[in-house]
Amino acid sequence: MVTPRARSPRAVRWFLGRIYLEPATDVTTKTWPRVARQIMVFSTGERIVHWLHTLAFFVLLGTGVVLLVPQLAPFATGEAGMLTRIIHRLGAVAFALVPFLYVLLDPEGVGLTIRDLFSWSRRDIGWARAAVAYYFSGREEVMPPQRRFNTGQKLFYCLVVLSIPLFGVTGLAMWFGKGWLPVAVLQACVILHDWTTIAVTAMFLVHFALSVMHPLMRGAINGMLSGWVPEEYIRSHHAMWYEEIAGEQQEPAPPAETLSADQSAS
Amino acid sequence: MVAAKLAMLIDTSKCTGCRGCQVACKQWNDLPAEATRNTGSYQNPPDLSPDTLTLVKFREIEKADRVEWLMFPWRCMHCAEAACVMVCPSGALSHNPAGFVSYDSGKCIGCGYCAMFCPFNVPRLRADTLSGKGKISKCTFCQDRVLNGERPACAKTCTTGALQFGSREELIAAGLSKVETLKENGFPEASLYGHDTLGGLGVTYVLVESPEAYGLPLDPQVPAMTYLWRKVTRPLAGITIGVTALGLVANFLIARRRIRAEEVRHGNP
Repeated sequence: MVTPRARSPRAVRWFLGRIYLEPATDVTTKTWPRVARQIMVFSTGERIVHWLHTLAFFVLLGTGVVLLVPQLAPFATGEAGMLTRIIHRLGAVAFALVPFLYVLLDPEGVGLTIRDLFSWSRRDIGWARAAVAYYFSGREEVMPPQRRFNTGQKLFYCLVVLSIPLFGVTGLAMWFGKGWLPVAVLQACVILHDWTTIAVTAMFLVHFALSVMHPLMRGAINGMLSGWVPEEYIRSHHAMWYEEIAGEQQEPAPPAETLSADQSAS
Repeated sequence: MVAAKLAMLIDTSKCTGCRGCQVACKQWNDLPAEATRNTGSYQNPPDLSPDTLTLVKFREIEKADRVEWLMFPWRCMHCAEAACVMVCPSGALSHNPAGFVSYDSGKCIGCGYCAMFCPFNVPRLRADTLSGKGKISKCTFCQDRVLNGERPACAKTCTTGALQFGSREELIAAGLSKVETLKENGFPEASLYGHDTLGGLGVTYVLVESPEAYGLPLDPQVPAMTYLWRKVTRPLAGITIGVTALGLVANFLIARRRIRAEEVRHGNP
């Protein structure tokens, strides 16, 4: 049951309607009981790390894209341009440090995530075969059961993990290597840095669209906001993981305070 | 404004290595002297720097059991196809229609891309390593003088006439005829350097020996990476992001319609 947001502008209402911030909403009927059982999918540490990385990514993208979009040239020239470069460097430090924060805040979660990221099997081919029917037509029956991360998520996360050394090495070379590194190396770094950006940005758009906008994924965003996702969502989207944890995590719905706090926060 | 394309012709057979151009350049551009050290050569300071935009190079070659000196002023070549202009993100470097590569230090953000891509390794970056704040330096062709009808400081001060400034066409003709004269007088290796490289350099040299003897690149090119970055990466970014975004919008619209239809077909509990 969606609380009417009478004063929100229409576009905002439409958007919120897409992402379904209510903790207990449904994939198909949109009317899951508010007391539906919830499963904790992302720990507090993981959520903090996720949003800090998102913020750093936006800072880096915003200050880096001035080199690729001629219309943004005013931000790449004179005093403004120097400020853009300094902000880009601060963002880079944050982007590089956030993974270490993940290890500090939630070492167990890191292990769980790495385990899933590096477990590839025939099921991933099944995902690729079923992807079009699943993501375009919502034919859930053709999709093989997935673990905590499905193949698409794994692809994106692996790219993000790979991008950190790619951005890091090429970025550090351009930051500290001018004047002593061979120019051919510096030239290659400029191009590699940009190509990594292009790949990550394209995949980021997919990540955003699927986790926030896609009709099948309604409710998914809650996992990254409050940490809780309806049990039913996990059962239908991450069946293998659901079976793994069904025994352990039998918590009832999160306490009422949590629910209302989440709602006001969102 | 200047109607004809301008250029400099440096006749190395006339250069005595007096370094008048080097000093005049510092004087006009208000650049300090540098602490230097003896490297066993009269070339001093040893290299171009943010404070030395023109440097007289001294090279020693052995010729018929004698050591000969090759001396020539060295600075930005003002390429017509300039890699630095192609990669400069700030617009600080640009082509002036008068035929040189103009530099606006107010716009420069000190990224140093020009220094990375210059086929002659000319621009010099002075920047704070940590913050990256700084500026590039290079010969500006004395743009403030030239555009006001004056000769560049180096050309004005040159006592031997080795450094000439004027209409590019006339200077090229003069240079070619000087090369002929040199060849007839015992310098078979003489050549005119730069009149047709990289779209025609704004600084051309009458060389008495082969370009290698001067340490000049035989066939300088805009690095392939320049094109890869400017001509390929930019469109690649637009196409990749655009196609992805369009695909996602299409996915959203199709999925929204079909998944609603599915609900109706299966019926909801």
